[in-house]
Amino acid sequence: MTIRLIVNDRAHRLTVDSGEALLGTLRDRLGLTGPKEACGEGECGACTVLVDGGPVASCILAAGSTNGRAVRTVEGLAGAGDLTTLQQAFVRHAAVQCGYCTPGVLMVLTALLEEVSEPTEAEVRQALAGNICRCTGYQQIVEAALDAARAVAS
Amino acid sequence: MQYCRVSSVAEAVDELTRWGAEGRVLAGGTDVMPRFLQGEQVPAALIDIGGIEGLQGISEVGGVTSIGALVTMRRLATASLIALRHPALSQAAAAVGAWQTQTVATLGGNICSAASTADTLPALLVAGAQLTLVSKSGRRRIGLEEFLEGPGTTALRPTELLRAVELEPLGERSAEGYLKVARRSSMDVAVVGLALRLHVSPSGVIDGVRIAMCGGDRSAHRVPAAESVLLGTQLSDESGAFTEARAALADAVGPGDSVESQYRRRVLPGLFGRLAGRCSAEISGVVA
Repeated sequence: MTIRLIVNDRAHRLTVDSGEALLGTLRDRLGLTGPKEACGEGECGACTVLVDGGPVASCILAAGSTNGRAVRTVEGLAGAGDLTTLQQAFVRHAAVQCGYCTPGVLMVLTALLEEVSEPTEAEVRQALAGNICRCTGYQQIVEAALDAARAVAS
Repeated sequence: MQYCRVSSVAEAVDELTRWGAEGRVLAGGTDVMPRFLQGEQVPAALIDIGGIEGLQGISEVGGVTSIGALVTMRRLATASLIALRHPALSQAAAAVGAWQTQTVATLGGNICSAASTADTLPALLVAGAQLTLVSKSGRRRIGLEEFLEGPGTTALRPTELLRAVELEPLGERSAEGYLKVARRSSMDVAVVGLALRLHVSPSGVIDGVRIAMCGGDRSAHRVPAAESVLLGTQLSDESGAFTEARAALADAVGPGDSVESQYRRRVLPGLFGRLAGRCSAEISGVVA
């Protein structure tokens, strides 16, 4: 089956298997290994990418169902050498430890900050409810998100 | 396995007729895809209905809210019409999975998968949901209660497609809500979920009440025994009837003696107390 996909602003025409999940398409066909497979059943958020701006678990999303849509992965966030405000805040707050959850967490928070300019802590935590982090206890991640929101707003 | 992408209801119905029980409708895929990827359910064909524009709408016409089968949980949780006219559904949709789930999971999927834990079902039951199903031989309407035949089992024939859900919007002097108990606040199925809709007369007598629950051994269902003790009582007279309703709800869990059943019996009365308190406060605010 052939699908058209815009990934990080680049158009692709890809042949995919009928039951293929988007995560496999991104990692194995396009070499975008930012989104991670952890649980493989849409429970943990490590594979989160944005489809038409909304966060999805790409490990259980049929690649076929994304035909004609725009996908953003963590690779699409930073320009040439410039981290986004959110990524810079992650560095400042030491919001990354092992890093496995980070690409997914960054994508869900990117979607949040695009939707709500100055989210409350409760809104940040609600947005993160589908992303499991075994290292940080979430506190640094939440602080980084709030800090980034303030930086963007000011 | 074949992947069939369809862009109209007519095309979908053609594919469903062709594949019958061997085909599986794919919408958001949050239920279908994990089962497929884990090899639990491998259909001969996935029929991807995601591109059918006609199933995406939310409208309110002539005192009826109509919601297309492809409307996502995220839209239900954020649309102002739903928050205003169907707050229980709005709250239930927000309780499904997490944001990643809600972006793609559809109302039609939640209804047709018919999990015993499906959050939207109690909310739809208290809104008197009627479903429109279409097939080659035309369309038929069926009430949600009749549609749900058991956990994971419905009256949907293999050749039929769920097109839309029609709901009775909240009127004046009425309130509703949905509350859920789960082990985690997100990304977890309901141990028990409860929806309540109350309507009172101008003098404050409860003249309409619907209560529905999910999360037990059965499909989501109404609880007539708890509804009947509230009907005809004064909204202000909370102690008597509301206490009886709590007991009737605990009885509705059924005879099972599993730890889960025992736990449901313990938490349901409290869950109902919170919901009823919230609903009566909202209505009293209006009546007073």
